[in-house]
Amino acid sequence: MDEELAEVEGNGSLPFFPASVARDQEADAFVVIVSNSLDFTWWLRNASPATQWLQVEDLLNDTEIWAVAARKETEVAIDVVIGDPALEFSRLYQLVDVSRIRDVRVSIPIRTGFLKALRLAASLQFPVRLLPGQVPPDLFPELQEALEFYLYDPQVEAPIEFFHSALASARGKSLGGLWTVLEQDPGVFQHFDEEGREKLPSAEFRGEAQDFLAWYQEQLTSRNAECVSCRWRDYCGGYFKLPDPEYSCQGVIKILDRLQIAASEMEEDLAGWETEDSEEKGRVVS
Amino acid sequence: MSHRYFSVILLPTSDCNVACEYCFEEKEPYRLPASLVPVLIERLLDHMENEDFEECEIYWQGGEAMIMGPDWYYDTIGQMNSAAESKGRRFVHYLQTNLIGYSSAWEGVLFDLFNGSLGTSMDYPNLHRKLFNGSAEKYTALWRKRLEEVQAAGIQVGVIAVLHQGSLDAGADAFYRFYADELGLDSFQVNTPFPGGPASDAETEFQLESEALAVFLGELFDIWIERGIGKGVALGPFDALIDHFTGKEARLPCIWKENCSNQFISVDAKGTVAQCDCWVTSYPDHFFGNLFQSESLTKMLYESPARREFVERPSRLMENEDCLSCRYLSICHGGCPVRTHTALGTMHAKDPYCEVYKAVFARAEKQGLARRRLRLLPVSS
Repeated sequence: MDEELAEVEGNGSLPFFPASVARDQEADAFVVIVSNSLDFTWWLRNASPATQWLQVEDLLNDTEIWAVAARKETEVAIDVVIGDPALEFSRLYQLVDVSRIRDVRVSIPIRTGFLKALRLAASLQFPVRLLPGQVPPDLFPELQEALEFYLYDPQVEAPIEFFHSALASARGKSLGGLWTVLEQDPGVFQHFDEEGREKLPSAEFRGEAQDFLAWYQEQLTSRNAECVSCRWRDYCGGYFKLPDPEYSCQGVIKILDRLQIAASEMEEDLAGWETEDSEEKGRVVS
Repeated sequence: MSHRYFSVILLPTSDCNVACEYCFEEKEPYRLPASLVPVLIERLLDHMENEDFEECEIYWQGGEAMIMGPDWYYDTIGQMNSAAESKGRRFVHYLQTNLIGYSSAWEGVLFDLFNGSLGTSMDYPNLHRKLFNGSAEKYTALWRKRLEEVQAAGIQVGVIAVLHQGSLDAGADAFYRFYADELGLDSFQVNTPFPGGPASDAETEFQLESEALAVFLGELFDIWIERGIGKGVALGPFDALIDHFTGKEARLPCIWKENCSNQFISVDAKGTVAQCDCWVTSYPDHFFGNLFQSESLTKMLYESPARREFVERPSRLMENEDCLSCRYLSICHGGCPVRTHTALGTMHAKDPYCEVYKAVFARAEKQGLARRRLRLLPVSS
């Protein structure tokens, strides 16, 4: 375990440690995953400058811990991962006071009812990260609705990932590929288990973490997966083909294509706006 | 990142020197005793330390706050400020008064302790604010005289107007002209009424039909946009809404906060702690506790079942009402608990003025987005 961690420190990637092994870390920068109130409280009080943020899992229903998080012992940022968005969404109000003293991001797994959590998180101005995994077919209508909410609702001021980076990508401006945006590229974000062993997205991979994505792309090509000819391959990197390589991406591609259309609409609007400005200028001059 | 706000609406007395027909407070000739001031200060500072608030805004009001006299404020606020300073904290003081008891003796206090400003109230037309031994007309005449004195002294004045049926009957144009033109105010705000506190004959005047109220506020908004906003007239809550919809930081009124229980409490002269001044004198079932009988304000606030009702209100609204699908959720969060409670007998429902707010938000959004667009237009070389 020690050897693995020494390597992590050397290669400049950001490690994610469960709280049980995080206290002994000497990395320059790391993320701590906390999933009980004792660990959360300890890290709120003792986060060092090396602690980039706390990934807080399954604690949204704890009513007392958020009052502690609203105090300013440290300013360490938190990423609140919701367990069951349909049941827990209304608890997001507990984070309002917390967000006045520390950065808060809300991570929402795409499960039935996730749109409720997304709407409320966005209305409270929290940046959101949707965690798609392999989206079940019956959830695409809700995901489509979420996308329209992201694109057109005036309440949305903070980014909603992965929509935000996909839209940027569609406009030719990279905010990072999907693996990076979701903090799942092992070459950039290394995840460790309770024993301090590195967790990789595929058990078949045997190489160095930073080589994972290249290896994975080769696997997709050799399997002639639908990614090979997919227009979103550069952004997506085959993310949706794990863990089930037979997963059909048609629903996901529809979502991404909708973002492409929105990007084109934005281009047209901006071009029209500039024309309008010229005309306005003409009127002012005349 | 914004700051955590903690405010206390502090009632040094619930006694009053006038007899407004619609007052929601139970009046008593009781004043905060000097002997309890150190206890009050200690409880507040301990709470600030426990919760890590560097600053606490104190909104002094009553009853009628000026009944306590200028010397009382010099003494009390002096004690508060020096105690806070010794603990690295800070109190900032605001005064809300009916102005009837104002005299030049207050001038120094207002500049020394209240940053040269005060808040007062006047309705238009004034039908229900009355002197004990006089009519509404006499009240208005005396208030206007006091206002002129205060303005002449260079004190900044903000006026709260509670709308009633007479306001709607008079119309938005007459209403605006009264405050902006006749009184020459550059800062006033309109509050939606609620029939709180002890029952009174005037209550029906304050139960306004939503559609008529929305029309009135819409017209008032348009008049302010046309005549006021460009001339530096601040008309709340419209000005905060314009800030919001033009992308500026906006301090929206308490009725539209994410959760008012996070941000303030009210304490009366006997030490009763409740959510705000609307609750503290009139609704014993909703009291959080007594500041002078509790060892810790922090503990009281955490343990009070009454306060938990307030803390949980927005979450319950999101689960049970249609707020989640509203495009204005981010600036309303279900509205005001006391307006809801007085209209529906429960706070766990959305504000009965929901449709009125939506109409106002829509108007402000349209105006705000147009202004934002103008601001964002690329500058042509």
